[in-house]
Amino acid sequence: MKQKDSNPGFGKGQVGIMEETVLQVENIRKNFGMTQALKDVTFSIRKGTIHSLLGRNGAGKSTVVNIIAGIYRQNSGKVLLEGKEISAYSVFDRQNMGIKIVPQHASIVPNLTVGENIFLGIWPQKKLFVDWKRLYEDAKAELDKYGLEVNPRTKVSTLNGVDQRKVNIIRAMHGGAKLIILDEPTTALSSKEREELFVFVNELKKKGTSFIFISHYLQEVVDLSDDVTVIRDGRSFAGADGELLSEEKLANLIAGEDVELICRDILDTPDESRLFMECRHLSGTILKDVSVKLYQGEITGLVGFPGSGARELCRTLFGLEKITSGEILYSKKKVVIKNPFDAIQHGIAYVSYDRHREGIVGLMSIRENISMPLFSSSLKTKWGLINQRKSEEIALRYFDRFHMKANSVNDRLKSLSGGNQQKVVVAKSVSTDPRLLILDEPTIGIDIKSREEIIENVIKTTEEKLTSVLYLTNDFDELLRTVDRILFFKDGKLVQDVRNDHLSHEDVIRLRDSVTEKSAGTHQEVSP
Amino acid sequence: MNNHWFQIKTKLLNNIVWILLLLAVIVIGGLDSSFFTPTIMGNVLSQAAVLGILSFAQSFAIMLGLIDLSLLGVMSFSATMGLILIERGAPVLLAIPVIFLTGALLGAMNGFLIAKLKAVALVETLAVKLTLLGAFLVITEGRAITSMPPSYKWFGQGTILGIPTLPIALAVVFIAVYVLWNKTPYGRSLYAVGGNENAAHTSGIKVDHIKIIAFTISGFLAGVAGFFLSAYMGAVTSTFGTSYDMNNIAASVIGGVACSGGQGNVLGVLGGVLLLTVIQVGLQILGVSSYYVQMINGLIIFVAVLLDALRLKTQHS
Repeated sequence: MKQKDSNPGFGKGQVGIMEETVLQVENIRKNFGMTQALKDVTFSIRKGTIHSLLGRNGAGKSTVVNIIAGIYRQNSGKVLLEGKEISAYSVFDRQNMGIKIVPQHASIVPNLTVGENIFLGIWPQKKLFVDWKRLYEDAKAELDKYGLEVNPRTKVSTLNGVDQRKVNIIRAMHGGAKLIILDEPTTALSSKEREELFVFVNELKKKGTSFIFISHYLQEVVDLSDDVTVIRDGRSFAGADGELLSEEKLANLIAGEDVELICRDILDTPDESRLFMECRHLSGTILKDVSVKLYQGEITGLVGFPGSGARELCRTLFGLEKITSGEILYSKKKVVIKNPFDAIQHGIAYVSYDRHREGIVGLMSIRENISMPLFSSSLKTKWGLINQRKSEEIALRYFDRFHMKANSVNDRLKSLSGGNQQKVVVAKSVSTDPRLLILDEPTIGIDIKSREEIIENVIKTTEEKLTSVLYLTNDFDELLRTVDRILFFKDGKLVQDVRNDHLSHEDVIRLRDSVTEKSAGTHQEVSP
Repeated sequence: MNNHWFQIKTKLLNNIVWILLLLAVIVIGGLDSSFFTPTIMGNVLSQAAVLGILSFAQSFAIMLGLIDLSLLGVMSFSATMGLILIERGAPVLLAIPVIFLTGALLGAMNGFLIAKLKAVALVETLAVKLTLLGAFLVITEGRAITSMPPSYKWFGQGTILGIPTLPIALAVVFIAVYVLWNKTPYGRSLYAVGGNENAAHTSGIKVDHIKIIAFTISGFLAGVAGFFLSAYMGAVTSTFGTSYDMNNIAASVIGGVACSGGQGNVLGVLGGVLLLTVIQVGLQILGVSSYYVQMINGLIIFVAVLLDALRLKTQHS
């Protein structure tokens, strides 16, 4: 655990001479119609600190943030900016006063340049026209000021994820920001990019800007935050009382009960009789000569930076990416997987890392989302119609098994919380009774309880049905609790294949960063 | 916002077509009670048939979040094909399948270009429409085709057990589309593709097939509409079907098929069709000058798009 020696007064929030308070939230209550979203929320944010807000999906984090930004008005309670009550001010007033919000999904226009994105809505003008020369000069100055080395004339769409987010933050900083709200800024970033973003945020913090940080990654929160407030059941709880932050303690505080972290008994090396799928020299746009054997009942973890080939292997096996050479053997027979339809026919299922894009149909019900891969196969009656009763039965089974929170299986997906949506996506893939289950960030952006319920079900399926599982996640603690072996990828190649034999978080990072090609394709024991 | 009120509001917006229909009937019937005579009512149902079949055709495209502008062209061209065969001495029972097949083939071509080559539906179908309407003019040289045997006309003007053929045709198509959309894997896949194409693809649904089939059925139904309209009118003229051109889009959207795709139901479309037809017939019996009709049509489409926007807005709040 990282030491917080830079913060002697941690968690106390005392207002000393050195520690001015930027924002105070006092006894906030907020109702939406009949439901009471916030009952009593109180916390304060010190100048030049990073203050994390934690809570399950739907706990009320967004409501708190929206009240601070002025998008919602609280029913009672106060919001004070530098001691001044600001509840009467509008969103725009508050922005001018220095409260800026950087939303979850980058609020940038990809096809415009970096410079124009920074000055979107506040273009410098010469009479009626945009003063492009000044815009780019000013943008250059802003970028230099915050140490982002990109040309203001490049299109934002050509930047990588982390630079796009930096542009977003610089846009917020422009015009003076006292408090910047970062709503899940690390979603879809690689761990390397995250670290880069944290360095950037820490620099700004040192210059006196305060941050509210919202994230589902506890590790991140522990590493980055000066203070933590947990929102649960509409009330606020201080994340630590003069103690160091611990991931487990926060997890329990968020859940309001002890969350049991699921841990799998790691399997021994399976014998060759369990071999059922083999990739031989797979190459594609990114993959380079990847050979790997997958066994029944084994959970195989995948680690690698974006573009390393880890995700590409998942998507190739499911027919979402093309191969240029190599072959896939399934029960020792060669198979061709051109698209997801073929893959599902061969007993392969895939959970995408991007739930909104590739996972859910928000307008359709839980039942229909789970049934989707079975529409034209096992759910089709001899008259060519859908067997509604069977579809309902399957949905109910998974509804109970995953402890989904909804009124019924007929609820539309878009009315569910992120965690429950993700449960549906995983249930959908499991419903096909796959022999190979590919999970690409199955727990991204969801609350801890849902995460554990998903992991529990994946392990259960693996053990009951001897499913082979590919498990890609950037949450290495989750990885180590779940998988039997780990494949490391770099530059499109499989560079190391290691059994999860008492590996630690640090081991995984070390292996990821130090991998070389020599041991590819062989099982190697690593002593921790 | 109060949850209960929200649900009522959503329900109201999704079923508003029936309230509007009731209102239209009351207003028109109140102003002129002859509206309620069986003749006029029968007239409404007959006029609704062609618009209805075309609107169901359009709904396939709108369900995918697309607009099919080619329907009028497909319908005129298909009907012309069949009637030319008849003029040259072909039997009616050969001509009718040719009409349907021509429509289906043209629709399949639309579907192929849109699904496989990723042509922009709006522009591609516009091109097809203009080409087909042009071809129709070239073939007929502007004259009306009126030579058709009574057996052909019977499909548009006859009765079965005292019920006019056109409402029966509408009912058959309605039931077929209803079953297809709600009970079959194809229909549910159509909803899934319209709702989230990528998620559907990842769930093993063959997105391209679904699209091509949607446009093929759409073209087929346009052919069916062309057949019934030509039989009803006893002629194909240069203004054939033009009064249904944009109204089929309006009927679908007023009926609750969302322009963004993946949302809507067949019964709603039928409601939209009846509403538009009641208004059209109502304007006629109230003696409103035909100069106003186009403007009123425009206003109806305007209402449709506002309703669509309002529904979307309610969902997002």
